[in-house]
Amino acid sequence: MAEIPAPTPAPLPARARARGLRRWFEPARIGQMSRGGSIVVYGLLVLWSAFVLFPFYWLAITSLKLPVDVFDGPSFLPWVDFTPNLHAWADLLDFSAKSPLAETLTPYRNSVIIAFCSTALCVLIGAMAAYALARIEYKPRLGNILVFVVLMVVTAVAVGVYGVDLWIAAAVGGALFVLLARSVGRYFKRSVGNADILFWMISQRILPPVVAVVPIYMMFQKVGMLDTHLAIILTYTVVNLPIVVWLMHDFFASIPIDLEESAQLDGASRLMTFFEIVVPLARAGLAATTLLVLILSWNEYLVALFLSTTQAQTLPILVAGMNGGEKGILWWTMAVVIIIMIIPVIAMALLLQRFISKGILLGAVKG
Amino acid sequence: MSEAGTMADDGAAIGGGRAHSRARRLSIEGLNKWFGSNHVVKDLSISVEPSEFLVLLGPSGCGKTTALRIIAGLEQADSGQVLLGDTDVTNELPKYRDIAMVFQSYALYPHKTVAENIGFPLKVRGLKPDERAEAVRDAAAQVHMEELLERYPRQLSGGQRQRVALARAIVRRPSAFLMDEPLSNLDAKLRGYMRAELKHMQHELGVTTVYVTHDQVEAMTLAHRVAIMDEGALQQIGTPREVYDNPANLFVAGFMGSPPMNFIRGSIENGRFESGGGVGVPLEGEGVGGGTAAVMGFRPEDAEVADPGTGLFDTTVYAAELTGDVTLVTVALGGDTSLAIKMPKEYDVDFDRNVAVRFPLERGFLFDAASGERLSARFAVPPGAA
Ligand SMILES: Nc1ncnc2c1ncn2[C@@H]1O[C@H](COP(=O)(O)OP(=O)(O)O)[C@@H](O)[C@H]1O
Ligand SMILES: [Mg+2]
Repeated sequence: MAEIPAPTPAPLPARARARGLRRWFEPARIGQMSRGGSIVVYGLLVLWSAFVLFPFYWLAITSLKLPVDVFDGPSFLPWVDFTPNLHAWADLLDFSAKSPLAETLTPYRNSVIIAFCSTALCVLIGAMAAYALARIEYKPRLGNILVFVVLMVVTAVAVGVYGVDLWIAAAVGGALFVLLARSVGRYFKRSVGNADILFWMISQRILPPVVAVVPIYMMFQKVGMLDTHLAIILTYTVVNLPIVVWLMHDFFASIPIDLEESAQLDGASRLMTFFEIVVPLARAGLAATTLLVLILSWNEYLVALFLSTTQAQTLPILVAGMNGGEKGILWWTMAVVIIIMIIPVIAMALLLQRFISKGILLGAVKG
Repeated sequence: MSEAGTMADDGAAIGGGRAHSRARRLSIEGLNKWFGSNHVVKDLSISVEPSEFLVLLGPSGCGKTTALRIIAGLEQADSGQVLLGDTDVTNELPKYRDIAMVFQSYALYPHKTVAENIGFPLKVRGLKPDERAEAVRDAAAQVHMEELLERYPRQLSGGQRQRVALARAIVRRPSAFLMDEPLSNLDAKLRGYMRAELKHMQHELGVTTVYVTHDQVEAMTLAHRVAIMDEGALQQIGTPREVYDNPANLFVAGFMGSPPMNFIRGSIENGRFESGGGVGVPLEGEGVGGGTAAVMGFRPEDAEVADPGTGLFDTTVYAAELTGDVTLVTVALGGDTSLAIKMPKEYDVDFDRNVAVRFPLERGFLFDAASGERLSARFAVPPGAA
């Protein structure tokens, strides 16, 4: 009996290889980049790097130019277009009052003190606030917040317009709040949650700083703290707090809560849990946030312009003020100052970079 | 099988661990917990004797973890008390309770080495590094981890992480241990091994232990006593043997055993249990008046498959599977009832064969279908039947 072959579907041919130009955009092997792809990618990267790095190059060569080289129009290549000269850098070692760099010393110290103190303060407070918002459920009643705001306005009006004594007004306002909070809370049950608090914090940054800076100036003027380190440190801390809270909140929320509960059962207090368990696990986020806040404070201009005159002047103010004076603009000195101004931030970035590594939570939970 | 051997010892083993001066009674009384409108723990009262190994058993989502977390102090009960020894710790912070817990996830600190992990409870208590090192070594030796003290958790296997978590719990000699499904992340072989280790260690240390699991085999093998929970309420508490041989209600009967007890739905009519499919058995005892819906139950290992006409009822074979030590025969009764029967592994039968099912009537159970409670009525054993 003749066998009837089972009907088999014709096998589909394997997909044909790409040809011509398309081949350039296919990797030769798994896990490799295609030739065309790498040319495009690296080409773009080189272009972008040149674009980003050129200002640094320009700074560096300007710091090596004599005044005559600067004013002779643009020249780009040392030893070709001009002869490099260290005269601007030599000023760094000249501490006599005549030296154009002598006056940078104080602002430099101010900048270091202000930026590092305010960053430390800001990250410490902000991280703790972010942790609290990530782990503790807050439910302040909307009614109570309203009462608080209304009483505050009333107190301010009483003090400002009617000349009531500040302490008496504050005491009465506080007492009224305690009384009203209990009764109003009973009728307005609506409350806000952690997400609302978090949003309220970041909303503080929506206001353009230039709007807030005049009241801040007046406030410090009133208490006689203008041109002090403390005033600028406090302002920077407050201004940068929302950023720290916002960024750190997510880092803390991503740490398995089991670890903290385990630490609690092991006998640790909340603070100890925070510093022994939570902070080390969030250090990548802490490092990145610290760096960001440091850069923001280091380069801040507007607030420093208002709050400092001589004693607490910071580097950005100094550099901005360098384009005047009877000698004209000392481009070479300015280049040197800007270069030494960048160094601490780069050093911090390199220092913190090794913390910004992944996979730290590996092995925390599960097998 | 070794499991049967350990089960037999259980009754005598309560409190039989080595004298542990700090072992204390752990009791919870009238515990209630709501999550919103979800009543998760319902009036739970359990007393764990000093050095006892109590297993809290129940299906997933029945509130075991919540109950354990209340004991640990990680969750606040809406009402009820937690007592450790004679002390009321209901409102005590977790860190003051002297209770150690092993989490299902192990919760090892990933940035600390094994030694630092185990030593953390001691560091918190302000012990000096050299005292700590000694205690850590002792605890690590107890779980056979001395060699790996300098590793980080990510460099350990699942079983090793489990051991570190255990060592961290025992290093400070707590008054009580809590364990939340500690073996559920391990593969089957390791789980069997760690089960024996755990049991041995608990016996050695004599620490009062509450162990949560949804696995009834773990419960049977580990426990001095098992507390079975369903939907937040305690169903029965007793030695594994008691709850297995004498289930208090349908839930317990259906939860214990693998495969679980067979059930046949029917009703009590004129002193007889009657069900569709030709099942009819005379009853004796109280409450055999009639009209109530009831459920008959019997264990797969008590029953056997016989020739048609010689058993309680006739049916056909649905499937037969050799599981290794037994042949598991499934028969269908009526539309939606299937029964499992364990036969010797030599037994072989064709599918769809007509067979009878029989079991010694004194091994049968009778439950109220509506409430699920065990009925005091029993099947009348015909005189002369063995
Ligand atoms: N934090 C919580 N918030 C709301 N519901 C919860 C919370 N924790 C547990 N539940 C609910 O409580 C019930 C019991 O949970 P759980 O105690 O984890 O059960 P089990 O450990 O027995 O599986 C589940 O229905 C679960 O959804
Ligand atoms: Mg659970």
